[in-house]
Amino acid sequence: MVISTALSARIREAGLAYLLLLPSLAFLAAFTYWPILRSIWFSFHDVVLGDSKIIWLGLENYQRLLEDRLFWKAFGNTAFYTVITIPLAITCALLLAVALDSKLRGMAIYRSAFFYPVMIPSVAAGMVWVFLYSASYGPINKGLSLIGIPDTAWLYDSKWALPAIMVMSVWKYSGYFMLILLAALKLVPSDLYEAARLDGISAWNRLIHITLPLISPTLYFVIIIGLLHSYQIFDYVYVMTHGGPADATNVLTFYIYQNGFQYQDVGYASTLANVLLLFVGGLIAVIATVFGRRVHYLGR
Amino acid sequence: MSNKSTFGQIASGVSRRAFMVGGTAAVASAAVLRGARAQAATKVQFMYPVGVSGDINKIVSGMVAKFNAAHPTIEVEAIYAGNYDNTEQKVITSLGVGDPPSTWLPINSALQTFLGLDSLADVTQKAKAGDIYQDFLPQFLDTCVSDGKLYGLPFQPSTPVLYLNRTAMKEAGIAKAPQTWTELLEVAKTLTIRENGELKRWGLTIGGGWHDWIFECYCRQNELVPWTKDKVLFDNPAALDALEFWVKMEKAGVMPKASTWEGSANDFMAGRTAMLYHSTGSLTNLRKSSKFEVDVAFMPKNKVFGAAQGGGPIMIAKKQTDAQLEAAWTLTQWMTSTEVQSQWCRDTGYLAVRKSAWETPEMLAYLKEVPQAKVALEQSAYAGAFLQVPGYHKVREYLKSALDRTLAGEIKPDAALKEANDASNREIQRLLRRRG
Amino acid sequence: MTTLHGQTDAKTLPFTQEARQPFRLAALKRGWLHVVMVPLALLWLSPLVWILVTSLKTRTEVFDPAAGFLPQVLQWANYPGALSVAPFGIYLVNSVLVTGGILIAQLVTITLAAYAFARQTFPGKNLLFTLFLLQIMFPIYATFLTNFVTVRELGLLNSLPAMIVPFVASGYGTFMLRQSFRQVPTELADAARLDGCGHLGILWHVYLPLVKPTLIAFGIITVVTHWNDYMWPLLVNNSENVRTLPIGLGLLAKSDSGADWTRLMAATVVVVSPLLLLFVIFQRRFVDSFMHAGLK
Repeated sequence: MVISTALSARIREAGLAYLLLLPSLAFLAAFTYWPILRSIWFSFHDVVLGDSKIIWLGLENYQRLLEDRLFWKAFGNTAFYTVITIPLAITCALLLAVALDSKLRGMAIYRSAFFYPVMIPSVAAGMVWVFLYSASYGPINKGLSLIGIPDTAWLYDSKWALPAIMVMSVWKYSGYFMLILLAALKLVPSDLYEAARLDGISAWNRLIHITLPLISPTLYFVIIIGLLHSYQIFDYVYVMTHGGPADATNVLTFYIYQNGFQYQDVGYASTLANVLLLFVGGLIAVIATVFGRRVHYLGR
Repeated sequence: MSNKSTFGQIASGVSRRAFMVGGTAAVASAAVLRGARAQAATKVQFMYPVGVSGDINKIVSGMVAKFNAAHPTIEVEAIYAGNYDNTEQKVITSLGVGDPPSTWLPINSALQTFLGLDSLADVTQKAKAGDIYQDFLPQFLDTCVSDGKLYGLPFQPSTPVLYLNRTAMKEAGIAKAPQTWTELLEVAKTLTIRENGELKRWGLTIGGGWHDWIFECYCRQNELVPWTKDKVLFDNPAALDALEFWVKMEKAGVMPKASTWEGSANDFMAGRTAMLYHSTGSLTNLRKSSKFEVDVAFMPKNKVFGAAQGGGPIMIAKKQTDAQLEAAWTLTQWMTSTEVQSQWCRDTGYLAVRKSAWETPEMLAYLKEVPQAKVALEQSAYAGAFLQVPGYHKVREYLKSALDRTLAGEIKPDAALKEANDASNREIQRLLRRRG
Repeated sequence: MTTLHGQTDAKTLPFTQEARQPFRLAALKRGWLHVVMVPLALLWLSPLVWILVTSLKTRTEVFDPAAGFLPQVLQWANYPGALSVAPFGIYLVNSVLVTGGILIAQLVTITLAAYAFARQTFPGKNLLFTLFLLQIMFPIYATFLTNFVTVRELGLLNSLPAMIVPFVASGYGTFMLRQSFRQVPTELADAARLDGCGHLGILWHVYLPLVKPTLIAFGIITVVTHWNDYMWPLLVNNSENVRTLPIGLGLLAKSDSGADWTRLMAATVVVVSPLLLLFVIFQRRFVDSFMHAGLK
């Protein structure tokens, strides 16, 4: 009797859980899973946007991808962008969040100052940075000339265009991660710091040994989101450089857009998207096993 | 919230047509009653991009309102669709689901793309019935022709031109615009300023992002049209010669290795470059935003003058009811009529497509005031369509990449052009096979 | 961890940490903070300053190196000039409706789903969670074509819901909120359960109030993201009466002839202002959850 009551309670709980997931799953099925399934199907075909004729290709699209110089270039650019920008932006965001997690006067101004770049529509922000990066009359070059760095047309130079977009990303997205981490800090009971402070633990050690573990669930979230972050620079590449010069700023999401919409090559764009999904999925699985296990939750 | 589907409204076109043959009386009375009019009028859509000024949105809306007022049996909906790329994508996406707009305004290079989708109405016979073949400037009309058949009418042609900082030229003691490539290099050298080895002003900048378009102009100046409707000819010696000239200018230190479309316009306005290859469409913006005197000249010639046309025609969808097709044709003719073209040219800086439009009193007055506008027209006599090959977007990217890498010194000109040529032709072949 | 938060539970401190610090120490800390933050904030703000200044210049002043940083005469006319290119009033209303619709829908779906993932046990939990994450892992441009067809079949093309439905579920929000729910001490839920609360009661009375900062952060991010959506609304909508602000902005960032700088910047200020106002108001609500739970 007891066992069956426990069992029925578990079934009821599971039933409720599925019910709670249902609204999300219904919309995900329609607008995420269905496109993914279509994309898998497209990738084995020659599909042209606007044309109803679909031709079976087997693995030809995947073969093409392996030999596609531009795919590998875009892949390299994306990896380079992610590996440098994300740790930088997250560290920056973390320091800002810790510094601005207080009730001191002026916090609203600081927080707004760091968060507003997220609000500027990409088309406008992109244009502004095109101006900021200009040679001779651009403010960045004017500033750098004070410390003896020669005038450079950052966005015209295939060596510097991608790093220039990365610097802009740090400006744009530090505030974004800061906001998430700021919210996380608010979930941490402040008397823990208090106790540590009274014990004479330095600010740095408090950050490393108390704050970081306490907000590790959100940090985990931010790292995974950060990994997917290169998806967001599509807009800037589109507005500022259009992937050039010499494909130096072509990143995978831009390349997918180019193939799917500009070249109307839906089959190949789908292939690219699927490969990216597999790769990113694998990476997240690795992070989940390595880092996910070390996350401390205050709850259970 | 509006829930109506515009596409859904078109679907019942046949019954509407039956209603229309009911006679002029029905139509006239319908025109009186606004509500009834919506029932009676043939609805057509016009999808257009905005490329040169935000005010174009207002101008087009105004034009369409005027058209609707003058044509009680037709109701046109003007749909702003982003830039040329966005417009093309929006049209093609709707084509894919079988609901294309009645008319749209793409870049002329997209002709083969749309023909490949079997989406364009052939208007040759309709055009022959009117004065179109007589009054339209042939170089513009040609951009809508494939295999002798006419698909749509040119509406807003443009070409690259050479913009000059007149003030800078006067300071350097240069009286006239360069006429030939050799002169161009000389003038660019004179206009380039370096202080202690650091560059202060480029002599010349080729607007990036569309430099493949300007490169085609260079090929045409070498008497080469670098494409036919089923292949590109980038490995032709005339193209190589053009690219080698670019390399020569870059090596001479008179122009940057690369630029962007937006950035190069800024550079010109800020005096960072004294000459600039950019679209005629930029004339108003550059003229009004520069502190100095702006002049416009022909792109210098080599063997001949030559230019490739940007800008676009109004195209008409094949798959629609006869009533809609008729209405779409009426709209297209009206939009390209003498008065409308004369006004459009003066408002936007695009070139008017009719000879008669250039002779209206308003236009003659305008040309007196802004003589620069005439340059592009005169140059257009040497202009042809731009890269009308299947898959032109991809071909453009291959070529741009080749040009960039050559100027950056990563690859030799001949190898770069060969590579771009082969990759482009493979892509074109792939698309043609598919059509086959 | 349990012992640590056991302390918290036992007695929440009645004062903020700053209040307990000796006054001089607080002042010192504040001083250092400002020394670092003021220059950094100014650096971050400089593009905004440039946007504002440019929005008030004449066209020739923008790039004239001799013109100086500030406009000679403030060109307020740029603002009406920018707003005249499109019916921005309608666009604003639509933007509010669409963004608000997405926000409300997402808050409902992610709250329910995050609770299930954080606090319930059921078969297939990990698999389902991975499925939720697929949404952020799959590049959005690769979904447009299929979603266009779906939206069309639902009869929603050229309508406000067309811009909402693809974003009703949020793997991003579910993940974010799940992480926060798992930070809530289980004892609080247990106490509520003993008081006779069911799952939904606990969710409403215990979990949601405690993760308010996360909800606010998520709300701000989702509003900002969808406020600036451009490609998808452009693709699915045609008529003026269902268009949103970024489309109007796109009119001024022309592609053929260089941007219409002064008016583009003026329109940018107009588009961003409501967001900035919202942010300033809501960031005040970033207060320590455990002080305001009202459960102790």
